[in-house]
Parts: sequence; C-alpha cells; structure tokens
Amino acid sequence: MICPVCNESMIVLELNKVEIDYCTNCSGIWLDKGELALLYSVDESENDLQKLFAESSSVNEKSYKCPLCRKRMKKIQFNNSELVIDKCPDNHGLWFDKGELEKVLTLKSTASSQKILELLKDMFSYNKSQEAE
Amino acid sequence: MWELIQSNKRKSLILFFGMGALLILIGFVFGSYYNSETGGAVGVLFAILLWMILSAVSYFGGSKILLSVSGAKEVTKEIHPQLYNVVEEMKIAAGVPYFPKIYIIDDPAPNAFATGVKPENSAIAVTSGLLSTLNRYELQGVVAHEMSHIINRDILLMTFAGMMLGAIALMSEVFFRGMYFGGGSRYRSRSSSKSSSGQAQVLIMILAIVLAILGPILAQLFYFAISRKREYLADASAARLTRYPEGLASALEKIANSTHTLRTANKITAPMYIVNPLKKEGMKLADLTSTHPPISERIKILRALQQGISYKDYQKIYEMISGKKEKIIPDSALKEAIPITPLQSAFTKEKDFNPVEAKRQTGDILMKMNDYQFINCSCGVRIKVPPDYNKSIVVCPRCGRKHSINNLSS
Repeated sequence: MICPVCNESMIVLELNKVEIDYCTNCSGIWLDKGELALLYSVDESENDLQKLFAESSSVNEKSYKCPLCRKRMKKIQFNNSELVIDKCPDNHGLWFDKGELEKVLTLKSTASSQKILELLKDMFSYNKSQEAE
Repeated sequence: MWELIQSNKRKSLILFFGMGALLILIGFVFGSYYNSETGGAVGVLFAILLWMILSAVSYFGGSKILLSVSGAKEVTKEIHPQLYNVVEEMKIAAGVPYFPKIYIIDDPAPNAFATGVKPENSAIAVTSGLLSTLNRYELQGVVAHEMSHIINRDILLMTFAGMMLGAIALMSEVFFRGMYFGGGSRYRSRSSSKSSSGQAQVLIMILAIVLAILGPILAQLFYFAISRKREYLADASAARLTRYPEGLASALEKIANSTHTLRTANKITAPMYIVNPLKKEGMKLADLTSTHPPISERIKILRALQQGISYKDYQKIYEMISGKKEKIIPDSALKEAIPITPLQSAFTKEKDFNPVEAKRQTGDILMKMNDYQFINCSCGVRIKVPPDYNKSIVVCPRCGRKHSINNLSS
C-alpha cells in the first residue's frame, strides 16, 4: 500500500489479529475497512461503526486520495470529538495523520470507539512514550 | 461421461463457427458502411484475420490471458498447503491423472473459476475473499465444482467463447468510436453521390448500427445458453465428488451473501466464475441473459439431495424444484447404476472455523506471494515489510526495538 500523504510504501503491523498500515516516513496510519470489520465483529452492528463518524464541513485541511481507489477522501469528525480524520468516500478505510494519531492517543474512549482507540494506543505505545519525553 | 465430453466438444465447434460467422457478417456490414464497393470484402478479410488471430491466441494462450486479466497469481504447495491439499483431494476423488495449476486472485469478493484448453494444462483460480470466508468443506465444494468444469471440458468452451465474444465486442466498439468521430462520412458522401447506391447506402448504415448493437448481445446469448447448463452439471458433479452437497450449498450461500463486488470481472470473464460476479438486485428480470442459473435454485437443489447424490437424483430434484422438464444431465450419466449416498452432516459445521484467523492467513499468503518480509517482534507485533520499502531499519512502534531488513533490491 502506498501512503496517501508522501507516496512511500507503507509497512503492515499486526497485533491481536488486526492489521494496520503504517507509514514510517510520516507516521500516518491507514485502517482498512476489512480490519475495522474485524475489530467490530459479528456481535456489533455496522451502525455502531457508522455512528462514530459525522461529516465535517468546516475544515481546510488538504485532502488526500484513498490509497485503494484513488478517490478524494472526505474529512470526517471522529466520534463527535475535535479529531478530524480522512475517510474514503467508497468506505475503503480511514486515514489518520501523525497529529491526528497523537490526538487519538489522548482521547477519552466511549464504548463504541474503544476498540479502535485501544488498538492504536497499544500499537503505538513506544511512539507515545517518545513524544512524552 | 464420454458422451458428455463428446457433446461438449461438438458444442465448442458449433460455437466456434457460429460466432465466426457472426464475426464475418459484422465485418462485411461494417466494411460496406465505410465503402459500399470494396469495403465489404475488406471488412470480411479484416474480420477473418481478427478471428484467426484471436482463435490462435486463445487456443495457445487463452487461459493465460484470462488469468492475467483477472490478476491471478500462481500458488505453490509451500505457500498454501491447505488449498493445495483440497485440490489434490478432489483430483484423487475424480480419479484424473492431471493436476490443475492453482491461482489466487487478490480480491475480497469470494469467487472462483477454472480455465485452460486441455485438462493437462488447466488452472483453478480462487479469490482471496473466497479463502477467507469459506471453511474447508465449503472450499472442497467449490474446488470440486471447478474440477468438474475441467473434467467435463467446459473450460475449452468457455475460453474460446470468451475470446470470440471479446472479438465481436471489440469490433462494434471500434465501429461506434469510428462513427462518433465521423471517420466514415468522407467515404460515404463520395459513394452516395452515385445516385444508384443512395438507398442501399442508407440500408447498409441502418444494418450496421443494428448489428453493432445486437452483435455483442447475440454473441452473449449464444454464450449464456450453453454456460447455464454447465453450472447445474458442475454442481451435480461436485456433489458426487465430495459426497457432501451441503458444503457447496453453504459456500454458494456465502458467496451470494457477500457484499463485495469482484473488481476484475467483466462481461467476458463473468460466465467463468462459480457465481456470476456481476450480480445485481433484480436479476430475475434478466433471466434470459443470465450466465448462471439463479443461485437460490442451485442451493435449493443441493440441499434437497438428501436421499442420494447420483446424477439421476440431481436430475429428479432439478425437475421438481425448477418445474421444468429440461434435461440437464446427459443420458449416459443418468444410466449410472450405483446409488451414491451423501455423508449426513458428518462434519462439525462452523466450529473449527475462525473467520478472523482465515482472513489473516489469506492476507499473509498474499503478502508472501508478493515477496513481503515477515518480522516477528518479541513484543508481539508482527511487522510485514513490502519489497519496495526503502529503508534498511524498521522500528517497532510498540516497543521501540529496531529490526534490520535485508533489502532485496539493494
């Protein structure tokens, strides 16, 4: 997979049977639709996942292209927080910029977003401790 | 089964010449459209040439082209031993001397197809989505279905037909583009200035447009009429090979219920797949052009095979469920005297199948096929590095350990 921000080849990280794509260059993260579905397995409904996102209109961030379908991704608000991330219009996945990831790591998790946040917090615990120093 | 194989070869020939004739007709009319005097002959010559080239190409490399168009990659026993074993089991069950090559298509939509000119150099292709959604018994059912296509010589027919359909589609595409850019008008105005051919010119033009529209459709109907019967027959054979019709039935159900659509499928490759990859809601309306029998009907027939799974049983249940008297199994197979009974729920259905596990495993296989490097960090994170990664060290984001990478390129 190619990073939508810096066009470098991304590495794949697997933890607890979930994979994420990670750009070592810009520290951006791609969460694939299929992986989100694994996080939110059968017992939770699709709606739970959809509830996490609301379209955000008033953002002037540069928009990126989905690494899978090359369509322009939409800016969306994550779980009603200040965090704005990119989402593929065809639902291929989510993109977290470096700064957005840091916000994710400090975010209080609600029941429905907990799984995503916990995964990211666990996966990037070293990066986080580096930031703190 | 000899009669069946023979009749398939015959149908291949009929299709071959029937579509060839259609191709020549289209060539003649399109040629005449551009130049009423000599264009017809040139068009026919061009059409025959195209037909001959495509026939040669599809005979010698048709399966390779179809595989590469679908983005399939070959897998070996080392990369995916489980899939290899399933194919081997079906090979033994069918008692055939040849071993088809196995390909994987990287696509989340579950589907599969078989291709090849001769059984000796045939291939079975499955998508990664299929591998990650089906358990072993369902996978067996699908592989048995594809194996049956190979044994029944359906693949030769399909490969040829696909190429022919492609040629006709190509010609009308070129014709329409040509018309759009007005390529023909120069010649047309010159020849229509000769007063005698004016009316004929208009006639040819109308005929050309009608053929350009109807030609590909006609060719497709040709194709579909034959491919639908093949699907029932392959289902019946698969039930016999596995002795477990429920495996294929629940595989078909999973494939039908999938929300993914196959990215690489198109009009030409669609009939090859076990389930029509271009399915849309309201497919009932398009029964005439459907490449596959309704999937619900196929599942119903398979599930109704409680008493026996011989060809005779399948034919009986088909007639009962579809309400048609149509023969889908050739006479020689119906005479089969040995009754075969299905294995009744001998297997634990979903117990030992973990969809997350299967998905991860399939993903890893695809990455191994694409030369990824796997690093197991001792903190529990697995790091998978693509071959075109441009750094020599990767830092685990969880524990901070540094791992060096053997760059293949440098």
